[in-house]
Amino acid sequence: MKSFHRYGLPFTLAVLFAMFASISPTFPTLANLHSLLMNHVALLSLIALAMTLVVAAGGIDLSVGTAVDMAGFAFIASLANGLPALLAILFGLIAALGVGLFNAVLVAGIRVPPFLATLGTLFIGHSVQQLSTGGGVPIYLIAGPPRPIFSEVDMARPWLSLAAIAVVLVVLDFSVFGRRIVAEGIAPAVARFSGLSVRRDIGLVMLGSTLLTGIAGIALSSGVHSYSPLSGNAYLMDAIGATFLGTTFDANRRANVIGTILGVLLLSTVKNGLLLAGVSFYWQQVANGTLIFTVLAISFSTKGKEATALSGH
Amino acid sequence: MPSPSDRGNAARLLRSGAYGAFAIVFLWFAIVAPGFLRFGNLTDVVQQSAILGLLALGMTLVMIAGGGNVISGGIDLSLAANLGLTAAIYARLAQDGANGLTAIAAALGAGLLVGAVNAVAVVRLRIVPLLATLAVSKIVNGLEFVLTKNSVVTATSPIQDWLSGSGLFGIPEMACGLVLIAVLVWLVVHATSLGLRLHAVGAHPEAARAAGLSVPAMVAGSYVASGLLGSLAGIFSAALVSGSSPGSGNYLLPVVVAAFLGVTFSRRQVPTIGGTILAVLFIGLLANGFQLVNISTDWIDGVEGVLILFLVGWTTLSQKESLDA
Repeated sequence: MKSFHRYGLPFTLAVLFAMFASISPTFPTLANLHSLLMNHVALLSLIALAMTLVVAAGGIDLSVGTAVDMAGFAFIASLANGLPALLAILFGLIAALGVGLFNAVLVAGIRVPPFLATLGTLFIGHSVQQLSTGGGVPIYLIAGPPRPIFSEVDMARPWLSLAAIAVVLVVLDFSVFGRRIVAEGIAPAVARFSGLSVRRDIGLVMLGSTLLTGIAGIALSSGVHSYSPLSGNAYLMDAIGATFLGTTFDANRRANVIGTILGVLLLSTVKNGLLLAGVSFYWQQVANGTLIFTVLAISFSTKGKEATALSGH
Repeated sequence: MPSPSDRGNAARLLRSGAYGAFAIVFLWFAIVAPGFLRFGNLTDVVQQSAILGLLALGMTLVMIAGGGNVISGGIDLSLAANLGLTAAIYARLAQDGANGLTAIAAALGAGLLVGAVNAVAVVRLRIVPLLATLAVSKIVNGLEFVLTKNSVVTATSPIQDWLSGSGLFGIPEMACGLVLIAVLVWLVVHATSLGLRLHAVGAHPEAARAAGLSVPAMVAGSYVASGLLGSLAGIFSAALVSGSSPGSGNYLLPVVVAAFLGVTFSRRQVPTIGGTILAVLFIGLLANGFQLVNISTDWIDGVEGVLILFLVGWTTLSQKESLDA
């Protein structure tokens, strides 16, 4: 029973999966699971992994959507201006890294707490996008000559996602840098007095993590052959949700890669399952929220009793 | 290590930064924006700030009782959704011909319920507030969706007309409402023993517990109060736009910004009622001034972002020695 709370997340995921499979014959089909993994899971996992890195280092990134948008904007605008595909991808990544650099300077240089720094970035990002698209006009590349790069990026999605999982896993769990940022995330004061540069490291994490959000931005805009302003923000709350749901999978409540991926799978399964189960369109969101709330309640309240037992002498 | 006086200086500097920025913006608009200083315009600013103000007051209460850590401390992300749902409930009831007071009571009840669910989730189920209120906001948002089918619900009632109209000296009733509620909340938080306990619970939960205060009860109370303020905002919103319309989610982040911007107005850089109201008015003045001088509203978010970074960066740079991460 002691470690019950740890397995609340995979257990609920399995139960939900079985439930949706029994309600909807379409849900467990290969075609549905394939499209689920290729679309929602692949994109959200990239963004949620970026969030996981930052949260593990003791921060939070509210501007993941901004980096997604900036990458998509630079990528699509470059293509629209006739630049070669590889250059467009490069510009997309640079744009995302620009957001990361801005965050890093704020956090490491000016020492603004990550929550407020990235909140500021998010708001500035809103204006930048609105102003550079004439009030929010999307850029469509749907008509015109066929662009093989779009389908190539679509094909690469699962590999990008798997590579991201591997890289973040190695960085967080098997590298000196990972040890350091996790230590800094757990006890920033102790880490600082041990001679670690907490703010510089979290700045580096915020910079590096935008590479993942940048890839997600390129994959997203490539999938819809267009860029529409502020569309990345839709992923912010899900990325935070997946990461923090994932912390319930770790014995010490830390952000971790496997937990985050389970969180992503849970959020995606619920969304897709409710749709296929024929829940009324209008009730889906209520059901979605209620299910997530229940998972949180199960995972946190079991842990909570132990915490009380510890602190309440 | 920073000495207490260093901290005091830094806080003073920051405060002067926040007030200075406020004064500069005010003066600048007074000079360049035609009609900015008109009494009617200034009261309009207060009216237009009323909804954000009520939401930000709720957020501030939760932040005071929950402590400073933004991730594990107090935060209520369900306020915007609460506004959406309660406005929808009010509009649907008013549209179906219910008495205005009944509709208001139902909206307030729903807001209290949302707050109570948050309170249970945070205090009893021990879900991290950030996540708990996020999940609740999903549910609440969904309920609004069910109620309105994601479309505009128009409703009019004498109470709405009164609330969106003007009263004494031509001051909009909503401006009066915001001032009245803010003063009331200010009195409770900064001038009663209940308020003192609220601060104690947020600042030092262990010490508060040792002193015999019930930390869970205070924290729970802050979420319920926040829920109530959210529903008041919902009623204001229903009066202002004659019903309910989708898009309450647009308030989510501005509320967070207002509450944190408010922190830079306080002496000890903590959430305060006065600071929050000043921040809300500051944001309202910006929006109003931009409109008067014909600058695209697309700039407003960016200016708010720069403002919060500037003001928070200002403090941290002015207290270089204190490196507490």
